[in-house]
Amino acid sequence: MTKEIRDDLKYTDAHEWLKIIDNTAIIGITDYAQSELTDIVFAELPEVGKELIKGDELCVVESVKSVSEIYAPISGKVVRINEKLEDTPEMINESPYDDGWLVELEIKNKRELEDLLDAGSYKKRI
Amino acid sequence: MLLKSPLNDIHKEFRAKFKEFAGFEMPIQFSSIKDEHLTVRKTVGLFDVSHMSNVWITGKDAEKLLTLTTLEDASKIKDGMSQYTAILREDGTIIDDTIFMHLGEKYMIIPNAGMSDKVTEWLNKKSDEHNICATAENVSRDYVILAIQGPKSRDTLQKLIDVDLKKVGFFACRFINISDVECIISHTGYTGELGFELQINNLEKAKKLFYKILEAGREFDIKPIGLGARDTLRIEKCFLLAGNEFEGGRTPLEAIMSWVIDWDHDFIGKDSLLIQKEMGDYYRLTCLECIDKGIPRHGCEVQNEGKKIGIVSSGTLSPCLNKGLAMAYVHPEFREKDRILDVIIRGKQVKAKVVKPPFVKKDWYKQN
Repeated sequence: MTKEIRDDLKYTDAHEWLKIIDNTAIIGITDYAQSELTDIVFAELPEVGKELIKGDELCVVESVKSVSEIYAPISGKVVRINEKLEDTPEMINESPYDDGWLVELEIKNKRELEDLLDAGSYKKRI
Repeated sequence: MLLKSPLNDIHKEFRAKFKEFAGFEMPIQFSSIKDEHLTVRKTVGLFDVSHMSNVWITGKDAEKLLTLTTLEDASKIKDGMSQYTAILREDGTIIDDTIFMHLGEKYMIIPNAGMSDKVTEWLNKKSDEHNICATAENVSRDYVILAIQGPKSRDTLQKLIDVDLKKVGFFACRFINISDVECIISHTGYTGELGFELQINNLEKAKKLFYKILEAGREFDIKPIGLGARDTLRIEKCFLLAGNEFEGGRTPLEAIMSWVIDWDHDFIGKDSLLIQKEMGDYYRLTCLECIDKGIPRHGCEVQNEGKKIGIVSSGTLSPCLNKGLAMAYVHPEFREKDRILDVIIRGKQVKAKVVKPPFVKKDWYKQN
């Protein structure tokens, strides 16, 4: 089954996507990642205002049987979280690139963006 | 080396996701754990549980050997009946829990995955030590084990069998011919639903039977079910999983198995159990239903007013109740019904209430 990969997003090896708009990045997990996890039943998001360094734990998503940590793909401050996930974590499965987004970060170091993958490179890795 | 079920190719055909389980590559899920779980609760599902073990107990004293080495007085279990029990060490801790089936002159026991050698060696050692004329033989690799579970399991299997399945009562077992496949059927299971388990020692015929059962259950939307849903189904019913609930050495008193202890016979471990019972201060398996959001997992601490008073042995999100559930070993002072305790999940206190087992009551599907 082919998994959707959007051309206008950046990606990581850990199957996260980033939508860069000026100084902020909206972050989620890819279609491939959600299909591997299946049945996401719980999402634990960070508090708004939290400062993260690239590689820190960003949030935790749980499926029925597994717990997966998602790490910050870049450094930054949490400016917004997807509060709808508290009641409807299944949005991550149903709409990984839109309604199932996780966190918005204020980008701290634009140079870190250079390490991210474009759609073509990400596609080769899954 | 990773062992495979003889039905491994069939699982691949049904697009299973695999996971290693006690040395076996087994399907963890096919469609999704939630979907498979609800299929079993509402209609019927088909499980391959060939990673479980098969051991024959033969010899004129077979019954004596089981009576000595299990919680059950095997002389009370009639031919054609099976019994859930446990095998203990002298110190009262559980080596394994198992079903034994009384099949004429001999018995078959079904130890857990990866336990066949250990249990077989233990039984033969005890047989020698006590001059009992009985032998345990590990035949696990000769058998495929299928479980058909759910309210429509009987209707599904009945299509393939001449015998009236309503006459195979709860925990009954017998040799049977299902669509030209010889097997042992038992009215048993690990889901808390109406269900049957089949032991089949012809691997090729077992594969054919797998398809035939799926065909017979098609009108009920039968599905193959992975071990992920098997685990969530058993947790909702508070059934024990050896690797989790007996980890580190637990006695049947701690694991709340008193209901299967027949105190009127002598068995290995009994003296230790009597001492523990007298002392009474042991942690006991306790059912916790989360009030706050959060999913308890194996190893999570249980606290009362900030003090550790227990540990979670199994936890999951319940697909039927949509709540976090935990089976936890809890200090005897803190486990009365309706008491609120904290489960510590990633450093946060998640409130949970002590409830009576099972979490999901009988015939759940009729109310939902």
